[in-house]
Amino acid sequence: MAKILLVEDDDLVRDMLTQVLHRASHDVFCASNGEEATEYLQREKPDLMVTDIIMPKKSGITLISEVKHRHPNLEIIAISGGGRLDPTGYLDLSESLGASVSFEKPIDNTALLMAIDLLLHGKKEKVEN
Amino acid sequence: MIPPAKQKSWLPYLVVGGGILISFLLWHFILWHHVEAYLDLLLPYKSYLSWLALLLGISLSILAGTIIRIIQLDDQRTALLNEMQITLKKEMSERLRAEESKQKLEIALLQGQKLQAIGTLAGGIAHDFNNILYAIIGYVEMTREEEDKNSIKYNNLGKVLEATKRGQELISRILAFSRKQHHEFEVIDLNNTIEAALSLLKPTIPASVSIQFEKNHGISIVGNQTQIHQVLVNIINNAVDAMEGEGTIIIRSTHLTTDDPLLKQLTQSSPQKYCKLEISDTGHGMDQATMERVYEPFFTTKEVGKGSGLGLSIVHSIIKEHRGEILLNSQLGHGTTFTILLPECSPK
Repeated sequence: MAKILLVEDDDLVRDMLTQVLHRASHDVFCASNGEEATEYLQREKPDLMVTDIIMPKKSGITLISEVKHRHPNLEIIAISGGGRLDPTGYLDLSESLGASVSFEKPIDNTALLMAIDLLLHGKKEKVEN
Repeated sequence: MIPPAKQKSWLPYLVVGGGILISFLLWHFILWHHVEAYLDLLLPYKSYLSWLALLLGISLSILAGTIIRIIQLDDQRTALLNEMQITLKKEMSERLRAEESKQKLEIALLQGQKLQAIGTLAGGIAHDFNNILYAIIGYVEMTREEEDKNSIKYNNLGKVLEATKRGQELISRILAFSRKQHHEFEVIDLNNTIEAALSLLKPTIPASVSIQFEKNHGISIVGNQTQIHQVLVNIINNAVDAMEGEGTIIIRSTHLTTDDPLLKQLTQSSPQKYCKLEISDTGHGMDQATMERVYEPFFTTKEVGKGSGLGLSIVHSIIKEHRGEILLNSQLGHGTTFTILLPECSPK
């Protein structure tokens, strides 16, 4: 079980992903934009962050670059459905800024859960070493 | 009409001079050679006769010279006016042509901007739609997991997932139109590319539709083979639909000279060599209103469910990506011709 920060502005997607992550026995904390996520990160230390890219107030791209600066060990998964650029363009950018993995929406949730497990497992191994 | 250069400007002076000389000779002859015997009738006027002849001769010469000069000047003026008229007509037709080509360019630019705006809009819609689809897929999958695999509910939810897959495909097509995909460009032989596309297409085309390919050899372009295949597939499929399964499609590939008038249709002028790819069909053709909207995404004249309305907008976008131009010529009942201009390059 891990503590996951989920940053997603779309209510339907956020609620659905919360359920998916709960079912996989993770603790989920939700934020609907980058600013809320920043506030949360000042109080708490999650194991992993799943963030959307195109969001109001503070975008996922800004959030990732700030988070990587302040919390370099936090694993980040970027998700996006596209927009002004194509989703792969945003996701490539997010990976270059420090996201460990990125997914293009609609995501195969099994693959997402697998990526979360792999990242958390890798982190645990790092800590144990 | 006598051209000014060929006019004999000395002629009136010769006439006047000659006339005066003859008059003097006449005067001299009458005065000194005793011809009174023949002029008995004019005896009372004898002393004035020589002077009268001289005056008359001089007046007639001057009059004749003046008339000739007037005629010459009139000819000169007519020639000048004609020349001005020809120049004016030439200038007017040049201006008219320039105005027409400016209008065409403006329309093409407007069309490009419109498509770009629609592309941005489509990109935004695609983003929201991906979120909606993702939520549907996620909830359906979770609900489905709780159902018995042999139940109707499980199967029905499977159908929902199938429908979302179709939605996903549609979105990826919209994104293909709206975003600038990074396609690998290389030097390709246009004729080989056309032949490869035709071999892919032929099995899907009814036997009653004949395809003729007329080619100029050695046409190379810098482009993406898959995208050029897509252009041909989309246009030819539309042509087959327009011909209702029967007719002829003619494909022509030709080199263009740098001064070909067709190149004036390019929105971005370029001094390089271009080639032309024409695809004509004998289908039902299009009216003006359809022609104006043909590249707009989601515009279709096909029955509901038969066309997404994205085919020709993707074609337009691909040709622009290849720095080319696509022109459309169609008439109701007389078929359609798409003319594609692409920059030519030296073969590999």
